[in-house]
Amino acid sequence: MSNENYKMDDNLVLDVKGLGMQFGGLKAVDDLSFNIKKDEIVGLIGPNGAGKTTVFNCITQFYKENTGHVYLRNKEDEVVLLNEIRIDNVIKQGLVRTFQNVELIQDLSIIDNLLVGAHSKFETGIFAHILNTKKARHEEAIYREKATEILEFLEIDHLKEQYVAGQPYGILKKIGIARTLMSDPKIIILDEPAAGLNDQETEELSKLIISLQKKFECSILLVEHDMGFVMNVCDRICAINFGKFLAMGTPDHIKNHPDVQEAYLGKDDE
Amino acid sequence: MKNLYLKYKDNLYAKFSLLGVALILIPILSEIDVLNYSTVSLVAYIVIFTIVAMGLNILLGFSGLMSLATAGFVGFGAYGVVYFSNVTGLPYELAIVATMIIAAIIGLFIGLFSLKVEGVYLAISTLAVGEIFGEVFRRVTWFTNAFGGVHFEYPTLLGFIHLNRVWTYIFLVVMMVVMMIVMHHITTSKTGRALMAMSRSKSSAQAMGVNVSQYKLTAFLIATLYATLGGVLYASFYRYVQPLDWNLMLTLLILAMVVVGGMKSILGTFLGAVIIYGVPKLWLEDLFSGIDGVAYIFSGVLIIVVVMFYPAGLIHLFDDAKKWYYQWRVKKKQAKEELIEQGGEQDE
Repeated sequence: MSNENYKMDDNLVLDVKGLGMQFGGLKAVDDLSFNIKKDEIVGLIGPNGAGKTTVFNCITQFYKENTGHVYLRNKEDEVVLLNEIRIDNVIKQGLVRTFQNVELIQDLSIIDNLLVGAHSKFETGIFAHILNTKKARHEEAIYREKATEILEFLEIDHLKEQYVAGQPYGILKKIGIARTLMSDPKIIILDEPAAGLNDQETEELSKLIISLQKKFECSILLVEHDMGFVMNVCDRICAINFGKFLAMGTPDHIKNHPDVQEAYLGKDDE
Repeated sequence: MKNLYLKYKDNLYAKFSLLGVALILIPILSEIDVLNYSTVSLVAYIVIFTIVAMGLNILLGFSGLMSLATAGFVGFGAYGVVYFSNVTGLPYELAIVATMIIAAIIGLFIGLFSLKVEGVYLAISTLAVGEIFGEVFRRVTWFTNAFGGVHFEYPTLLGFIHLNRVWTYIFLVVMMVVMMIVMHHITTSKTGRALMAMSRSKSSAQAMGVNVSQYKLTAFLIATLYATLGGVLYASFYRYVQPLDWNLMLTLLILAMVVVGGMKSILGTFLGAVIIYGVPKLWLEDLFSGIDGVAYIFSGVLIIVVVMFYPAGLIHLFDDAKKWYYQWRVKKKQAKEELIEQGGEQDE
């Protein structure tokens, strides 16, 4: 695995090259390549079992056994090979993800959940915290302020001191997104952000994603089943089936692509 | 006065300090014969095991990890400080530091288990470590004097402040308040949040940049140091350590303190220690002097009741009682208004 010969195009943030992942005899992802440009919202679509979540887990380094290369332009504008980076350091490079089933800490307040998202940003250590030094208090205050701003942007700041447990699903999804914003990401990966939301909430979410992309100047990669949502939000879409690349392009291009239509609707026998 | 109360009502520092002051009053009450001489010893035990249980609370309540070696570490702390003071001749403070360092190394070693095994398997492997401790205390004569036990003296701080029984007691209470504040600082900081993130969802914690291995070890280290400090204070106050006290039974009592008092709650841990140790010793054993082991029956029943009906711990009883009272008052008021309305209708 060397990236000495690799040169990333200046307008790219994430470049996936020849990604492969095998579970026993099953090739969940097979030689998949695609890329994401700066300030772009990209959707990853495919029928059930196409390997979308596997692709996510490979990019975010939850599956380390993958073959292929995932290059990221990190916060310092250097190109790094994510395969070489430990899973809990990925966020420091500027790539952060949400989870399909949100995975928040139920018995912490909403604002404390956001502060977990800032974990990688804290510089003070445990001794500073035990002594509650001025620096530690200052740092805590800074990130609390930041969390409040993000919650204000998402219009849920009035709930910030409440516990996560018992909040409606739509709010939980928002908190999940808010948590990723705490780390000043270069690219956010959203795993089925609209799953479980009703039509009105989905509508709101698509507006939210577009506006947060503009405000926080990051790229977004999302997996979603709701086609209307994906077509609405994404600048470009990457379609896969059985772990293989089908097509990539604008929503219109994907809609009219024969391979994509075949994957979703089946082959015409005549 | 009321303003002062409102200002500090939710201030945990104020609560910890107030608790400390209240506990320091106990020997004074005992001097003027309001309380028994032995009550001070009993409360000292509660204070010591509050410290130990706080460590377990960080491990269990916040990090979701289990250790059944707690009593072993308390015993190690007790023997360690005696050994380093009496045999090696180190001053009290240095003896504590030396004991802590060795305990920390052993604690980290146990922490390594937690990187490999989880849940009940972790409990079993730490249980084995606890048993090894017990065996060491019974057999390694140069360290523990086996069944003869070891004797100690009230500590001398900084080489010239000789503490007597009451001052040693006050020293224990001060240490407890300090350790409460330390726990409060740890658990409300980045570390506490990371521990909770890790135990609630490992993958989510990793995605947020939490190094799970590092924080598991941190949790074990903290729990170990709390337990060892408890042991050190035990030896300092009771001045006699014998090998059979540090068994699984004690570990389970400490566990019961955490569960009954309230997971994740600092004052709850103290409440748990009072209920599990203090209540049987103070009242039950006098009331039911004919029944052997009434303390164990009491704590056993209490654990079942709390786990089944009040899993958050009894410390929340105060808040809930307040809530129920207000709900009851609102209901009563509504019923009254309805009654008046109905009465009004009838008049027409």
